[in-house]
Amino acid sequence: MDTYERENISADVLIIGGGIAGLAAALSVKEINPDLDILIVEKQTAGYSGKACRGGGVLQYFDLHKIKPEQFVEYHVHNIGCYLGDQDLLFKYVSMNNHMLDKLVEWGAKLPKRADGSYAVIPTGPMTAMIGVDLDITIKLRRTAEKTGVRFLDKVAVSDLLTTDNSIAGATGYSIIDGTFYTFNAKSVILATGSQNYRIGPMWGSGRGDGIAAAYRAGAEMRNPEFGNFAQLVRVKSHREVVFGENYMYNQLGEHITKNFRSGPEPDISSTAIAEWFTQMSMAKGPIVLKPEESGGNSIYTIWDRPYGEPFWKINEQWADKADGDDWEVCPLFIGEQSPVKVGHDMQTTIPGLYAIGDTSYCGSALAGAVPAPPGRNRGSGILNAVFSGIMCAQSAADNASNAPLPPVDKNQVEECFTSAFTPLWRDSGCDAKDVIRYIQKAVGPMERSVYLSDHRIATAMKYVEKAKELSVSMKANNFHELLACHEANAMVLSAEMQFRAADMRIESRGWFLREDYPEMDNKNWLKWIIVKKEGDTMKLGTEDVPYEKWPVKPQF
Amino acid sequence: MIDTKHRIIFNSENCIGCKLCYKACFVDVIRWDEEKKQPVFQYVEDCEHCFWCEVLCKKNCIKIIPDFESEKLLQTFDRYL
Ligand SMILES: Cc1cc2nc3c(=O)[nH]c(=O)nc-3n(C[C@H](O)[C@H](O)[C@H](O)COP(=O)(O)OP(=O)(O)OC[C@H]3O[C@@H](n4cnc5c(N)ncnc54)[C@H](O)[C@@H]3O)c2cc1C
Ligand code: SF4
Ligand code: SF4
Repeated sequence: MDTYERENISADVLIIGGGIAGLAAALSVKEINPDLDILIVEKQTAGYSGKACRGGGVLQYFDLHKIKPEQFVEYHVHNIGCYLGDQDLLFKYVSMNNHMLDKLVEWGAKLPKRADGSYAVIPTGPMTAMIGVDLDITIKLRRTAEKTGVRFLDKVAVSDLLTTDNSIAGATGYSIIDGTFYTFNAKSVILATGSQNYRIGPMWGSGRGDGIAAAYRAGAEMRNPEFGNFAQLVRVKSHREVVFGENYMYNQLGEHITKNFRSGPEPDISSTAIAEWFTQMSMAKGPIVLKPEESGGNSIYTIWDRPYGEPFWKINEQWADKADGDDWEVCPLFIGEQSPVKVGHDMQTTIPGLYAIGDTSYCGSALAGAVPAPPGRNRGSGILNAVFSGIMCAQSAADNASNAPLPPVDKNQVEECFTSAFTPLWRDSGCDAKDVIRYIQKAVGPMERSVYLSDHRIATAMKYVEKAKELSVSMKANNFHELLACHEANAMVLSAEMQFRAADMRIESRGWFLREDYPEMDNKNWLKWIIVKKEGDTMKLGTEDVPYEKWPVKPQF
Repeated sequence: MIDTKHRIIFNSENCIGCKLCYKACFVDVIRWDEEKKQPVFQYVEDCEHCFWCEVLCKKNCIKIIPDFESEKLLQTFDRYL
């Protein structure tokens, strides 16, 4: 066995993932108890990594003088979450909206303001509005966190979580640069590693699910994994997203096909738009095109003055314009966004002392209901959910870390993690991680397997997942970059298995979840969450009743 | 995206070793050469063309050339495979 450098590091609070969620959590915990020693471990470079600095920088805004949180909750439950959402949690999220924006500003983020000092908010609907944030948001938060004494360890990927007596004890990981193997010992561990995007959409490149997989392997429960199937219309040449493009879709015969799946305004793209695309294409009525003159809006990038992000958006647009020309053909692109780590209101997982926030647990918290999230048909909620959950976990994570001694670390467990993490490096030969990923992408990529589902099509997808699983045991890595790809490939196999097995189980359609063979919402039998858990070496699926009786908005039977 | 053919052109002449491009990369395409104090574009095949390295380089040393055609849309209909 090769020898590698080893390092042991302890901290009161270990945060895994230095995207917007991890940074918000670090700052929030510090505000509660400045004496706590907080370490953020990030597999790339915190501040520059993750998604918040690569997106549209649009934050949802609620004018809480005009609308009451319960009004939005009611709207959301009926139209978006379809009775699977935790209404109390959603109520808190909406109520804290203005507070969260103020916090972001306090932490250094730049939100455009008007001359009178108010936020430069733009209404988007009767209840919602939006406000921009500049893309140096994560760099600013990192700098502020550093000033408060938060420590950072970049280019270290966490591969496993450590538990003692079923509570969290820390984590293990390795440097992707030189392979140094780290053992982290901590009282509270906050998982902020983002969602699972299966390496398909380019800007979603960092969502590879390895944190989700580590939580699963440690025994944490998952909830709503079948809602990890987001897709977006993109222009076929450049693959850039056309947000709200589903409102003006036409087929080759010039027929306006939006009206086939939509009778009035809807908050965002729906799986029925994807199904319509698939149906039209199957009837040879494609290609499907958009009529841009009906879009009725300018690019959101130019609405506000955001000097840091501007050159980034500009160069992306320039290349995309060059590729697309006048070609407005669209096609869906699978994005995924599986975010299933199950948490309560304090973002604690089913493993005491382990918290999961941001895109790791957006569906697992049940805040969004029956939609893949982010964005969860609720644009501008990705960054704010990350901030929200970062704030929500802070009190409990801080209390836990303030009151308890460092838990003992099981040395045998560390050695097992070391061996399983580095095994792909020690194999003489084997397949490439990308061979595994290719099979997973064949399973999840096509819309009819992942979004517009049926019994038969789920079975086809599972065959590809099985093939990927078979191959995954023989992955070979030649360096630490490839080693990371192996771990990510394993995480993709796990996510896809959860996704399809849960999809197979949910025999109804609800919200974004759409089955051609069971097109109706079934409130009698399916007001349930699907829960996934590792038991021994097997994946166990079960259900949990949604406690809708205790919430104000009731389903109809 | 995997199996893509994006290209990165690096002109080392004006590089001042500020390391911003290295930090900017969110998927470990760029490594750092400690001796030369310059970036190494080591895993170009994994570039997701976010353009941040190019945008952040004050000395215009980096040019990303995306090859959209090599990115798979993965839809069953021939035209998108
Ligand atoms: C193109 C695009 C546009 C978007 N536009 C918007 C928008 O306009 N408004 C909005 O609100 N939201 C938007 N979103 C969504 C939003 O960006 C995300 O919801 C949010 O940034 C999630 O933050 P996060 O910290 O939970 O996850 P991430 O940003 O994914 O951060 C996770 C971090 O964990 C690190 N990590 C992962 N695994 C490990 C590991 N094993 N060990 C150590 N570190 C690890 C990653 O490198 C990364 O830095 C957009 C997303 C994309 C991709
Ligand atoms: S950003 Fe430009 S100047 Fe700075 S290290 Fe990279 S290439 Fe050199
Ligand atoms: S364009 Fe983005 S993904 Fe590609 S090398 Fe530069 S920073 Fe990395």
